[in-house]
Amino acid sequence: MTAWRLGFDTLRWRILLGFGGVILGLLVAAIIGVAALSTMRGAVSQELEALETSSQVGTGIVTSVFTEIRSAEQYLAQPAADAKQSFQTAADDAFQYEKGLEKLAGLTVEDRLTINRVKQLQASIQVDYALAHALRDLGRTAEATAQAAKVRGPAAELTQLVSNLDGRQAERAVLAAGRLSDLARRRGLLLWLVLAVTVIAAAVIALFTLAAVEGPLQRLVTAAERFGAGDLRPVTTGKMPAEFEVLAHAMQVMGERLRGIVGEVVTEADRIATSAGDLSAVSEELAASSAEVSTAMIEISGGAEQQRNDLNAMGTGLDAQRKAAGEIADSAQRVARLGEEIRTVADRHRHDVLSAGTALLDVREVVETTSSQVTQLAQQSASIDDFVDLIKRISSQTNLLALNAAIEAARAGEHGRGFAVVAQEVRQLADESARAAEDVAHTTSVIREQVEEVTATMSVGQAKVRGIESVAEGAARGLAEIVAAVEQVEKAAAKVTEAAHQNRSVADEITSKAQLVGGRSVSHAASAEEVTAAAEEQGASTQEMAAAAGGLLQAAEKLRSLVKGFRV
Amino acid sequence: MRRLTLLTAALLLGACRSSTGPIVIGVAGPFSQPRGLSMRRAAELAIGEINAHGGVRGRQLQLAFLDDSGSEDVAVRVAQRLHDDPAIVAVIGHLTSGPSIAAARVYGAAPNPVVMISPSASSPDLSGIGPTIFRVCPSDLAHGPALARFARERLGARRVAVIYLNNEYGRGVRSTFVKEFQRLGGEVIEEDPYVAATASFEPYLTRIRLAGGVDALVIAGERPGAELAAREMAALGLRWPVLGGDALTGIEADGALAEGMHISSAYLWDRPGEKNAAFISAYARAYGADHPDHRGAGAYDIIQLLAQAIAAVGPSRAAVRDYLADVGRGRPPYDGVTGTIAFDGRGDVPQKPVVIGVVRGGRLITEAGQ
Repeated sequence: MTAWRLGFDTLRWRILLGFGGVILGLLVAAIIGVAALSTMRGAVSQELEALETSSQVGTGIVTSVFTEIRSAEQYLAQPAADAKQSFQTAADDAFQYEKGLEKLAGLTVEDRLTINRVKQLQASIQVDYALAHALRDLGRTAEATAQAAKVRGPAAELTQLVSNLDGRQAERAVLAAGRLSDLARRRGLLLWLVLAVTVIAAAVIALFTLAAVEGPLQRLVTAAERFGAGDLRPVTTGKMPAEFEVLAHAMQVMGERLRGIVGEVVTEADRIATSAGDLSAVSEELAASSAEVSTAMIEISGGAEQQRNDLNAMGTGLDAQRKAAGEIADSAQRVARLGEEIRTVADRHRHDVLSAGTALLDVREVVETTSSQVTQLAQQSASIDDFVDLIKRISSQTNLLALNAAIEAARAGEHGRGFAVVAQEVRQLADESARAAEDVAHTTSVIREQVEEVTATMSVGQAKVRGIESVAEGAARGLAEIVAAVEQVEKAAAKVTEAAHQNRSVADEITSKAQLVGGRSVSHAASAEEVTAAAEEQGASTQEMAAAAGGLLQAAEKLRSLVKGFRV
Repeated sequence: MRRLTLLTAALLLGACRSSTGPIVIGVAGPFSQPRGLSMRRAAELAIGEINAHGGVRGRQLQLAFLDDSGSEDVAVRVAQRLHDDPAIVAVIGHLTSGPSIAAARVYGAAPNPVVMISPSASSPDLSGIGPTIFRVCPSDLAHGPALARFARERLGARRVAVIYLNNEYGRGVRSTFVKEFQRLGGEVIEEDPYVAATASFEPYLTRIRLAGGVDALVIAGERPGAELAAREMAALGLRWPVLGGDALTGIEADGALAEGMHISSAYLWDRPGEKNAAFISAYARAYGADHPDHRGAGAYDIIQLLAQAIAAVGPSRAAVRDYLADVGRGRPPYDGVTGTIAFDGRGDVPQKPVVIGVVRGGRLITEAGQ
């Protein structure tokens, strides 16, 4: 089936078959003509030969019998050796002719009976004259004349029979001639039939070939124009010769792949835009959280400073307070209240920092997803390059095919002129395809540049996010330590209060403990400052990330505007 | 009904083609006429002898006699029946030239041609008529030269006259005789034709007498013509020796009229040789002191030759034909009662001599000194 398709669905084979069929038809006609002529010639010569032989034999018999009779009569009138010799020779000749008569072709039973009768008559004529001659030799003239007179009847009958036989042979010849002319007419008819069939077949093949070139070409041109106009929807080119089938298939593949790529680009652009939107929202949230953290930290710092000052005051006034434990207890209660406040604030901010961390994780995820999508986009644009190469190859192949077709058309001369125009069209089409492919390549490179920019930005964003994360973790750790310290402060304050109420001596211990708490407060303040710095740093990173997300959003928008021209 | 019988016979014969049934040979000739008698008797004699010695390949031989009445039309029908019967291995016949020529083409028809061997059909037209056609007698053209040599060398004749039957046979014997006689230095003073209807040879005979007579008169014709010539010669008081071809055979029965006539023949019963002596005595024992003619002797030889062929190559038509074609050409010639049989490529026996017989006391015997 495939071989058949390969054999007969190509233009080359259609043209070859067309010309081959015409030549074959003419050849058959020529062979029929030559064979008919040769058969006729053979039959005619055979018939002529048979007729000639028959006529020769018939004439020969009659002539020799007449010669026989004339010589015999001469001898009867005047006996002479040469007359007798002539009589004998004529009789022998007649006998030979009779044998020839028997060998004639196509004799009927009636003919054979006639020949037998001729032989008998001839033999009897010869015997009668031989006897008459013997009588004449003996001088018995009257008897000789009487004997010779017996010959007349048989001689007349013999002449008649031979003439009848000749007539029948002639009739057969006429019949044969009729048969021959009949045969000639039939052969002539057959010849005309073959010629007519050849002409019709040639016309049909020519029409089909023309249709096979023009229709598909028109469809291909339409499809190419659609692609050129950016309409990448699937095209149906229908059945066409193998050469065009290759082109049509290439165009379909081109359409499919362009369609696929443009579709993906649109989808990706949409997704990038969405991701960028998400990213900027998260960044804003993060910035807000950072600001809150900063504010809280400043408050903590303030609180810690106050606590230290209070502790210092407590330390200096501890000797006096040793005496007035109630005062100390009040102070301790104030410390406990302050620690409570600090813990509350630290807890709140730790929570904020944790939620900021969670948001950062989201951001990282989004950034990573976007990054992998952008990478995919880069890969897709590489496949556009491959495809553009394919289109270029197809264009050059088409160009070559069209050139070949033009050469074939030139060989065909006048008949190929129409086809030459078609071939020129195909070449132009191929050139246009090549130019379109160049455009696509150019567009693709622009897209790729954009994508590369996005990729770079994304990498920076990722690094930044990772920095923010570590800072946030540091902040969270610091806050946790604050909370722990505050708890200890509270416990200590509770114990101070208790001790102040119970034992003055415990005041020393309290003093030392207050000093310890003071040291701790200093470290609290340092931690809070650290957190503040980190939170500020985080804020800056978040702002940079927001800027990157904006760039991404811009790139996606640009990408979307680029592929907007395509209909998929 | 007749066809049914034939069919039954054919079926029976076909059924009997096993290794134990008889081997059947067809015999065709004018058995209802006196000239066919010797052929039938000799054939039966030969079969009897062969079967008495155990047959061929352990099987009996059987003859199927079919009468052709000496007619070409009947001969064709007889030939068709024999040809179409697969049990028939070979056919002996026919006796005369016309029926033999007519039947030859029937026997030779594809796809299963059968051999026909004639004991006495002598027409030159039978030579090479087909690859399955044979005969064991010389053709007519051998008789003229044999008579010429006998007349010139044995009778010492220098002048002869020829009275010939004005048909193919008579003309053939006459022309071959004249040619050979003139070659031997003799003179042929007259060649006079006659037809069956010719009432009298008297003008010819008188003219010959007036021309000074002849040393011998050759009758290149058949028995009736020879009888007419003999009667008129007697009436005219002429006593020239008369010579004739084998178509005169039977004239010895005319007694004094034929006394002393010389007749050429392919075979005469008094031919020397052990085999012929045994055949003649067996024939006389079987049929009451009668003598076989050349037709009977030929038939006897043919059956013996066929028995030898079947014994050698088996009862197959094609094998028998091939065997016969090789007799005298690759296989040794067959030595029979009529002499040595060696076929040429045309189914003839060109080396077989023609003997000259003489009528003595109502019998045709071999002329002494040949």
